[in-house]
Amino acid sequence: MSRNKILFGIGVLAFVSVIVTVRLGGFLVDNEYRQPDRQVAAEEALGETELTPRQQGIADEQAADEAEARALPYEEAEYRTVPFVGSRVTVWVLAQLHLLFAAFVLAVPMFAFIIEFIGYVKKEERYDKLAYEFTKLLSVSFSMTATFGAFLTFGLIILYPKFTNYLMHIFSPTFLPYVLLFFLEALFLYSYYYGWGKFGPKVHLFLGFMLNVVGTAIMFIANAWLTFMMSPGKREDLDGDGVPDFVSAVSESGALLSLRDAFFNFTWMPINIHRIIANVAFGGSIAAAYAAFRYLQAKTDEEKAHFDWMGYIGNFVAIIAFLPLPFAGYYLASEIYAFSQTLGIQMMGGTFSWLFVIQAAVIGNLFLGANYYLWLGMGRIEGTAHFQKFIKYLLIAIALCFAVWATPRYAIASVSEIAAMGGSSHPQLSYLGQMSAKNTAVNILILSTYMSFLLYRRTGKQSTHPQRQLLSRAQVIVFAATAALVIFYGIYGYYVDAATRIRFAIPQVYSVLAAMAVITIIDLPLYRNARQPGETQWGKMPAISQYALIFIALSFTWLMGLMGYVRSGLRQEWHVYGVVLDTSPDAYTPTLGFATQVVSVTVLIFFGLIGVVFWLSSLSGKKAYEPKTAAELEGGQAA
Amino acid sequence: MKLSLPMPVKMVGVVLGTTAFYMYLGQIVPQKEVPPPPPVLISEDMTTEELIEVGLELANGKGICFSCHNDVRAPGFDGIGSRAGTRIEGMSDVEYLAQSLYDPDAFLVPGFAQGMQKMNEPPISFTDDEMRAVIVWLQSQGGTPTVTLDTDLGY
Amino acid sequence: MDGFNLPVLLALVAVAGLLVWRRANTLTWLLFSWGALWAFFKYGFTVPIPQSVATIYLGITTLALVCFASSSRQRLAEVTSPIVRLIREPRYKLPLAALLVALPALAAYNVYADMNVPLEAPGFGREVHPSPNPTITVHGETIDMATADNPYTHLHEDDPEAYEEHLENGRRVYYENCFWCHGDGMGGDGMFAHGLNPVPSNFNDSGTLPILQSSFVHWRIALGGPGLPEGGTPWDSAMPAWEKFLTTEEMWDVNLFIYDFNGFEPRALGQH
Repeated sequence: MSRNKILFGIGVLAFVSVIVTVRLGGFLVDNEYRQPDRQVAAEEALGETELTPRQQGIADEQAADEAEARALPYEEAEYRTVPFVGSRVTVWVLAQLHLLFAAFVLAVPMFAFIIEFIGYVKKEERYDKLAYEFTKLLSVSFSMTATFGAFLTFGLIILYPKFTNYLMHIFSPTFLPYVLLFFLEALFLYSYYYGWGKFGPKVHLFLGFMLNVVGTAIMFIANAWLTFMMSPGKREDLDGDGVPDFVSAVSESGALLSLRDAFFNFTWMPINIHRIIANVAFGGSIAAAYAAFRYLQAKTDEEKAHFDWMGYIGNFVAIIAFLPLPFAGYYLASEIYAFSQTLGIQMMGGTFSWLFVIQAAVIGNLFLGANYYLWLGMGRIEGTAHFQKFIKYLLIAIALCFAVWATPRYAIASVSEIAAMGGSSHPQLSYLGQMSAKNTAVNILILSTYMSFLLYRRTGKQSTHPQRQLLSRAQVIVFAATAALVIFYGIYGYYVDAATRIRFAIPQVYSVLAAMAVITIIDLPLYRNARQPGETQWGKMPAISQYALIFIALSFTWLMGLMGYVRSGLRQEWHVYGVVLDTSPDAYTPTLGFATQVVSVTVLIFFGLIGVVFWLSSLSGKKAYEPKTAAELEGGQAA
Repeated sequence: MKLSLPMPVKMVGVVLGTTAFYMYLGQIVPQKEVPPPPPVLISEDMTTEELIEVGLELANGKGICFSCHNDVRAPGFDGIGSRAGTRIEGMSDVEYLAQSLYDPDAFLVPGFAQGMQKMNEPPISFTDDEMRAVIVWLQSQGGTPTVTLDTDLGY
Repeated sequence: MDGFNLPVLLALVAVAGLLVWRRANTLTWLLFSWGALWAFFKYGFTVPIPQSVATIYLGITTLALVCFASSSRQRLAEVTSPIVRLIREPRYKLPLAALLVALPALAAYNVYADMNVPLEAPGFGREVHPSPNPTITVHGETIDMATADNPYTHLHEDDPEAYEEHLENGRRVYYENCFWCHGDGMGGDGMFAHGLNPVPSNFNDSGTLPILQSSFVHWRIALGGPGLPEGGTPWDSAMPAWEKFLTTEEMWDVNLFIYDFNGFEPRALGQH
């Protein structure tokens, strides 16, 4: 589509929307009841004094209505409603959209900064260009974040006035710093973006660094508001019996006792950590989706190579952040457990238990998609045949772990199936539905994905390190030993009691993290000065790999929506857990089916909007508009 | 001949298809809507039987007792009324039940781990009268209900 | 290999061996993997796994196989080239035609098989032996469930002759009223049993009468399905409230008789 057509379209759209607005306003004003013309004529003929009984009645009614309206006292509303969708869904969607854009805006500077830094250290132009490409996505997203933030604030004030007022009571001292930080964020963001290449590299890097510091601080403040709603206080061992007691930040009636405790509440730090990591994973995947979008549109080989590489880096960031994410999630969940067993049980065993089966399915898809992209990426490099045979085994490992993780603890079964199983759990499968098996599956999934990445990294390369054989073997041994250890703990978990079993998760996690660290440390010298007979051919990826990137981005977004729901929905009928009860008609916990519908609609809106962001960002790379010359016009006519 | 759709169509297809797939997953799992627990009113003139009913309602709703007390995660309630008096030497069933509710970690039934919250604390926040109703109901599970709204629970 | 269907597993391994021997191509392997896993989930376990779980597993299998087939250009070509040949080359006309008929036929059969499962009530958690209220009222008399006992049990020691009489009366009551559903041998398999959900209790089962107090059994006889508390729902049992048809004595007698017939003792008072 040519630029002219787009401009024309926008013009038409603007014209139509002005007309629609004017007509709509006119319609609303005109739509009051008015008497037909001939009746007015008849009234005039009758004269002013004589009213028909009907007219008298109408006049009396109007007077009574008016008197009633005047006598109406002002009452403060507790809740207001939105027709059709309801106030909860409205606030839910707005908050989720705000959060998705905010997560993106916070994450992109993190890896843009790191990539710029790598470019600075390596003195390579292409890293700098890539970082700039990522940063281009920021300015529109930043406006979107602010817009939805304002929208969400209005939504809360209008729909939940009393509760919003209560949050003001607790957190009003934090609002001013928040606003100031937002100013600083805008300052650093725009100077970082517009100042690209205009400052010295150190000054520019400093701007990027400050942008990250300020962005993180903003998120930490906002996190305090929402974690307070889940855990309004801290836990501390007051009576010295070894069991931490609950220290509420507010009095029984909800009055603030300690802003410190309300702010640094029990789940604040776990959420901070979880969110930072998840934001980076999410931001990376969205940036990769942008690269995919541009790759698929690209006309020249040079463009293709650039965006192929950008997609690869974006996905790389996403995967690297994604690998520790299950551990951060585990930490968050165990902290929620530690804060309140009741909350923890509602989450894992009660109302929300099936949500985690869906989560397992989405995460399984993410792992599969990420590995798939890496395998396809081997096609970029010549001479990868002998690595291809590993893919089969990696795939089997991933599919097996996926299956174990998606095995429900209590399967949905018909009456006859239950009769055949002699209960609601299957004699063999029930082993797979338990925590031991699932923890093991996740750890192996992470390890396998890491191996996929390692394989990808060494395709087409030949190490020149003198002890290469020894080092490679060491890597294999570390990998095998870790896998064996994880599986050992997984199986041993069935032979010990629950309390011991829960503690097994920790050595599993640490051994996997340690193994990844050790293997990486070995890998760095091993391939530092590697020979590269097979050249990496950026831009030679099959198109399906780019759709895989979009699939990964969508899965991340959907997963964030789902987990955002459970984090917030966990409180069930509470605004502030244990303190402020939700008495609105929306206090009930909806079905999972409904929740996933809302999440899906939100994700689609987000992707619609991010599509606009992508399009706007891609404009800057386009050729400047030039009016057509007379010759061109003539040529056009002649043809 | 090559069958191929334009890129934007494919892209929208991937987005819609993936979303639809995840939404479908959400539809096939068991669907349960959880209403907020209804307020349970206790009045002075309630008979023991009415109190037992209130107690069960509290255990089922506000107390969410049955999430755990299923003999797996925590001891079941079957016959608790007759067991309660024999758990701890020198403690009557009422004293034992009251302690289990107000200070659950004071005594753990062998074979079970700690993990219950103090029921008079948020978020459950049973009032003392609600505690009495719950205890009467527990007594009725295999024992003789004796607690009334005037019983002193000692907490 | 307890719990697995060994012949099925062996058959699958045999087919796999055959494929290795014949050096089957990638497409054949993919199709075999899918089919083998399908067969394994459906027939590989002695206790069949629930359909819902099998569907999850097959979904994952499908995703994984599609990923595998398309994760390199070479493999994609290996998978698609036999299909392209089948469509393009004239000598495969007959197999192609067969396939074109077979695919819709398979889909149709699948629909038929899906639709042809017998109707079943949805499965809800239902307590088989819900806790009774602390007291019940039978024939206007209040009975304390915790302390009540069969008034005729003691006759077993004190007056064996009278005990026999009560048993005989219980036998009469049982074979006039109960055996229709609970069966001649009390196996819960009477002539009407197959029409009932929940099924009538099987009194031969050591998990039924011995774990219940006789007061519990009296409650179930006297108040029947209509007297079940919420825990026994949904599907209140079809057991009639026999207090409307029998005297209190007859009910205790039949209570005595079913324990005696099966050689069980009721759970003692206060024993848990």
